[in-house]
Amino acid sequence: MEEIALALFICLILALVSKRYSLPPIPFYIIAGIAIGKSGLAIVPADAYSQYLSSLGLIFLLFYVGLEMRPKSLRERGRTILLSGVIDLNVNLLIGFAAALLLGFRPLESFILASAFYISSSAMAISSLVENRRLILPEAETIVWMMVFEDVLLILLISLFSAQAGNPLTFILLTAAVLAATVLIVRVLRRPIKTILMRTDDLPSLLTFTAVISSTYLAKLLKIPDALVAIILGSSLAATSGAALDRLSQPFREVFLVLFFVFFGITIDFSGGFSPIVAAVLCILAIGSKMASGILVGWGLHGSALSGIEIGANTLGRGEFSIALAAIFGSATISATVAILVVATSLVGSFAARYSEGLKDWVSGERMRAPGTPGGAAE
Amino acid sequence: MGVRCIELPGIGTKYELETEKGDKVAIIFMGSRKFQLYVLEKGKGAPSAAELTAAEARRLGSLLSGAIIEAEKEAVEIAFSALSDLRIRVHTYVIKKHLAGRSIAELQVRTKTGATVVAVSRKGKNIINPLPSFTFEDGDIVVAIGDTDQLEEFEHQILGN
Repeated sequence: MEEIALALFICLILALVSKRYSLPPIPFYIIAGIAIGKSGLAIVPADAYSQYLSSLGLIFLLFYVGLEMRPKSLRERGRTILLSGVIDLNVNLLIGFAAALLLGFRPLESFILASAFYISSSAMAISSLVENRRLILPEAETIVWMMVFEDVLLILLISLFSAQAGNPLTFILLTAAVLAATVLIVRVLRRPIKTILMRTDDLPSLLTFTAVISSTYLAKLLKIPDALVAIILGSSLAATSGAALDRLSQPFREVFLVLFFVFFGITIDFSGGFSPIVAAVLCILAIGSKMASGILVGWGLHGSALSGIEIGANTLGRGEFSIALAAIFGSATISATVAILVVATSLVGSFAARYSEGLKDWVSGERMRAPGTPGGAAE
Repeated sequence: MGVRCIELPGIGTKYELETEKGDKVAIIFMGSRKFQLYVLEKGKGAPSAAELTAAEARRLGSLLSGAIIEAEKEAVEIAFSALSDLRIRVHTYVIKKHLAGRSIAELQVRTKTGATVVAVSRKGKNIINPLPSFTFEDGDIVVAIGDTDQLEEFEHQILGN
């Protein structure tokens, strides 16, 4: 128990430092975890207790992903999202998969690694756009909607990996049944849930917490991953009072996610099949492939490669979702590799996004002042 | 001069306006009661931006709609889109010592100036539509409503500025 307090205290200090220098906090949490955990000083062991608390971080994160799913607005912006999303997916998943295979991972491992390699950190992309004051750019819209597309892909990937782990048919039936049941229950109870969420006492937070936690119980009962149940629950509860649930679950999500990141670091084991060279190669490829997909999207949507640099720089950082995929489905080797990947790309991405203006100037200077007028986003 | 409205999931809503001269202004409403204001000068690549709190955004809004703001004296002009000729000014003034103890009726505010005192803020408490018998105290902030001439009269005759 006191280990958790220690871990949280270290994270608090690190959060202060990272805010002070406008850096993403996730790499710091992971580095701290590695330093005090298995591969470092080994002062904080990962026991069942801390494991449970950190798994709550994952559940709250995925509940939030489900909550923010907006199939309607996705469909409205269909073509743009599809184009940028598909380019991003294809380029990065393919490069990641091919690289992992060539570096000696087995096909399934390669696919899991490629998924972590593909998926950018929405949190980092959004906070870098806000903090670096890029929201006026049409590219900012493309980037945020690319993140929405990636969220959908995250759900698909989680479903796919879960289905593959057991009997796919029973899995699909069970998931469909859970989905149908949750949607139905939420529809029937919509009014009372809304009324409770509007109260000013302690009931709204209690309801939110109970709903999210109970998804872990339901998952255990039905033997499907709690990650998936959390997403299903979030997306069906969005129909009640999504904004209120988002606000209410935010404090839980923030605290438990920090625990999730730091305990992910604590459990990292570099002594197994982990190879620093493999990790380094993947990091370099991960930076290159996001820049490449960014430039392709820039070309396709904004008619300018310079726009693509902005897109690449802001989507470069891998974070919470890569860790989530590694933590749920990855082996020790994959987790260790993804930890390094996240730390490297998120730090490089943070600087690339901050200095993207300079980066663009430099590139356009190199190309003898290529026309760099970013066109409006294709509607 | 249409305003483009774009949803930015995870951030908020973006309103974008291209001015007649070709400059671009964007306002982003972020869920957490924060605002970002961007200005992109025509032909320039990099925008300027400012982050505003809700209160700052409101002040800026009343400035842009044609008001003058001084320390504790501030004016807002109200114009309705359907009644473009109708312009009503709302002005705040600070009551000085020499008016302390005198009532609105006694000062004959409406008869003498045409302006009306619609609200008084006294030590953080607000009195909306004070009665004629309402007596001023030193330091009261009054809100008067009228057209420009009436408010000028109010300043001269009642406040004695």
